[in-house]
Amino acid sequence: MNAIFTGIFLASLLAVAVISPEGFLPALLGGAEKSLAMAVTLFGIYAVWMGLSRLAEKSGLSGAAAKALKPMCGKIFRTDNTAACEGIAMNLACNLLGIGGAATPYAVKAIGELEKDNNSFAQKLLFIVNATSVQLIPTTVIALRTSAGSAAAADIVLPSLICTTFSTLFAAIVFIFGPKKWRC
Amino acid sequence: MAMLIPLIFIAVFAFAAVKKVKIYEEFSAGVGEALKFTLSLIPCLAAIFMMCELFEVSTLSDKLTKLLSPVFSFLGIPAELTKLVLIKPFSGSGSLAYLNEIIAEYGADSYTGRCACVCYGSSETIFYISAVYFAGLKQKKLAAPIAISLVSTFLTTILACLLCRIM
Repeated sequence: MNAIFTGIFLASLLAVAVISPEGFLPALLGGAEKSLAMAVTLFGIYAVWMGLSRLAEKSGLSGAAAKALKPMCGKIFRTDNTAACEGIAMNLACNLLGIGGAATPYAVKAIGELEKDNNSFAQKLLFIVNATSVQLIPTTVIALRTSAGSAAAADIVLPSLICTTFSTLFAAIVFIFGPKKWRC
Repeated sequence: MAMLIPLIFIAVFAFAAVKKVKIYEEFSAGVGEALKFTLSLIPCLAAIFMMCELFEVSTLSDKLTKLLSPVFSFLGIPAELTKLVLIKPFSGSGSLAYLNEIIAEYGADSYTGRCACVCYGSSETIFYISAVYFAGLKQKKLAAPIAISLVSTFLTTILACLLCRIM
């Protein structure tokens, strides 16, 4: 991330300095401003779902779900950390339901738990699964198509499902069976 | 389908009430966690958004789009999708804006529009996720996972455009 950020930033910086030096500062200021607007949107999503998930946690609901999923979680992510499995289970559930925004806090929690066990494999696998999108229903896209007056808004569900399945499986297989140094 | 999310809320609230959880206190505490979490994201968000804006203003993104369009066309990806495909790994809101543009210009049920929808729906904001997930942890070697995800997303884009042709 460091190298990419520095690379793109510097390249853009040089180009801006040549083409339109007066546009430089407004671009940065605008970017910072937009990030807060984005944070407000994200807070809305997180407030709703983390409020709900706190209830699920305190009532023992998510603990029970994690316990049920633990054997599978242990096998795929090679971990016996219950709190991490709980985060992973909730993360995947949110992704599958198409509420991707709500999935992020759970992944961050699971990755923090896995850090305690020094389990880089599980951290990276969870990242890859999320980065290649796992979704049953592309809620946002369907809503967008409906509002644009599509005659068959759900038309894209099947191709999307095939595509997300392919991308996640492909990436996970390459990661798991690739050179060992990728996983540590 | 729209019923699903209210049903989840009803189920969790009812279960929590049965288990005598202090619903108001705990729900607010969860929102408090959300606030802390959102605040912890802002430095990352601000840096990435500044980079994206600068990239846009520098016209490098336009140049890259022009440069790559022929390659994309050769692989069966409509040239109109180039920018969407390039921006998606960095910014969800940015790519959503392009998706909106494409749908407005070509129509939701056109080939280009459907391709854009499937590509958008089956990809993720890879760089953004990597920054958020691993923020505050000790340095990780993320080059391989990021590269794998990018390659996989690109192959999926080709597959998506192929599928939209036949389905």
